[in-house]
Amino acid sequence: MRSHKVIEIRNLTSSTYVIRMEKNDFTFKTGQYITLGFSGSIDRREYSIYSSENDNFLEVLIKEVENGLVSKKLKRCKSGDYLDVDGPFGHFSLEESEIGRKKFLFIATGTGISPIHSFVETHPEMDYQVLHGVRIEEEAYEKDSYPNGKYILCTSREKSGDYHGRVTDYLMKNPIPSDTVCYLCGNCHMIYEAYDILEKQGISLGPIHTEVYF
Amino acid sequence: MKKVAFKTLGCRLNQYETDALASQFQDKGYELVQFDESADVYVINSCTVTHQSDHKSRNFINQANRRNKDSVLVVTGCMANNAKEELESREEINYVVENDQKTSVFSLVEAHFGGEIIHPSKLNADLFSYGATDKGFHTRSMIKIQDGCDNFCTFCIIPSVRGRAASRPLQDILTNIREVISHGAKEIVITGVNIGRYEFEGYQFDDVVEQILNLEGDFRLRISSIEPDGFREKFIGLLNHPKMTPHLHLCLQSGSEPVLLQMRRMYTAKRFKEIVQTVRAKNPDFNITTDIIIGFPNESEEDFSATCDTIKELNFGHVHTFKYSIRKGTRAERMPDQVDERIKTERSEVLRNLSDEIKVNYRKSFIGKTQSVLVEKIDGNIANGYGEHYIPVQFTGENIEKNQFYKVKITDIEDGSDPVLKGEIL
Repeated sequence: MRSHKVIEIRNLTSSTYVIRMEKNDFTFKTGQYITLGFSGSIDRREYSIYSSENDNFLEVLIKEVENGLVSKKLKRCKSGDYLDVDGPFGHFSLEESEIGRKKFLFIATGTGISPIHSFVETHPEMDYQVLHGVRIEEEAYEKDSYPNGKYILCTSREKSGDYHGRVTDYLMKNPIPSDTVCYLCGNCHMIYEAYDILEKQGISLGPIHTEVYF
Repeated sequence: MKKVAFKTLGCRLNQYETDALASQFQDKGYELVQFDESADVYVINSCTVTHQSDHKSRNFINQANRRNKDSVLVVTGCMANNAKEELESREEINYVVENDQKTSVFSLVEAHFGGEIIHPSKLNADLFSYGATDKGFHTRSMIKIQDGCDNFCTFCIIPSVRGRAASRPLQDILTNIREVISHGAKEIVITGVNIGRYEFEGYQFDDVVEQILNLEGDFRLRISSIEPDGFREKFIGLLNHPKMTPHLHLCLQSGSEPVLLQMRRMYTAKRFKEIVQTVRAKNPDFNITTDIIIGFPNESEEDFSATCDTIKELNFGHVHTFKYSIRKGTRAERMPDQVDERIKTERSEVLRNLSDEIKVNYRKSFIGKTQSVLVEKIDGNIANGYGEHYIPVQFTGENIEKNQFYKVKITDIEDGSDPVLKGEIL
């Protein structure tokens, strides 16, 4: 367990925020997650790393959970506070050998965009498309950080996105080439349905290409 | 001569570690006695994977204390990590030793009898420095190749109590195996928490298996419990090696895709079935045994049916069922829709009956076939042991020796839910 000093909190919506911490000597593979809590506290939660492997800081994207214990406390943390970081954990990682050779489709819902953001910030040269499913446009967290044409927003509760509907509806209407490498991150139902749709479109999904958010 | 007794709960890794400790105590002059006898030292190698494991561990602690109040009582294993404060507060327990200091239990006890009280936290932390297991409780020689796990399945407490994944150097493993073979071991069982994730200086799990299989000697190799996500195609190719036993304990946990996702298992039920089919295509009677968790949060009747259907389809040799129980600090602890205990019990009953039926059918399929039985126990002229498929076999004969292979033709099967095969020596 390492102690990391908070640099800043960046509020993206009224309930979602990014904590930027000093990186110190922490290293990780893009796509991995950490567990985070206040120094000395036994209450900890898992968060995928939002920042790039190459950044000199460490960021996580957090949505405040209603009646949640840790996400509410973390939202109140301030620059200069110390947080305990454990990890990195997880096998939701890109295959080095595929990065320069393959076309990628990253599918996420809600804050499941976090490891995807880390992927594309770490490897901006990749040939990729991001498909992000949210309820309302406000949840398109820092969508301007993705280059033009790389980010497709699916909004299910309003017509403000690039597509009105769920990411799974989008996938059904817009089949993708079978040689695309797909990574899925988000809620269980989306992953389960998208997995099925993609398999029917001839895509072979390795299980390591999914990360469930709860 | 001082007497030592052990009680081991849980996994093969714990069994291995107890075997090593028991051998060390005996090598240093202790007499090994049964746990229900009076002893000077009791070592409980505990487990905390379910509520039931905790309950059993506590029960054995009470038993040991009742048998000899003046004994030295050592509690180690996963419960020692998970409930350290609670155990340390119990006066009857002399030492609570966490997993990474378990190798030093003997030196702790020796110091105690020498009048020196060492706090276990001052002991050396080393996951792999166990000695030989030749005076342990098993004929099969277990070899630890790995410890810890990084998978963080949402139900599992093991990463918290066994720590991050760590692999033993390949040369140490090979040296250890050469040593046990030279001492007469006939069956090597490689063990660890998540052995499929072995990684040391570029060597992966299949490299370890390949190098073990290439060692000289009259032995066979058994893989203990393995996760379906951790190995490559090369490993499947090694399963038909003449020294490899046709048995894998491949942990399924659920046959429902949504439940597997919520468990954060790193495979799908579909992928699991593909693995089984690939293995059985090469060896149709290959024994695949598995673990199933019943009543994971939000497990619906439909999910449970999918598990039952998978069990029927895959013809497992044995299904070990666990009722899901909340483990503090895991992700599943915070999941809504925990399944009612009565429903878990009902589903357990259904699954146990199904599992028994499938097990009996699988074992019956060996009647008329031959097994190479490693004898573990002899009572008069009746010998008991396990065939290469890890099915218990009993046969009769004169001058049978323990820890030797015998070719046995299977002729019959016992009645009951865990039937032993009966055979004739060839």
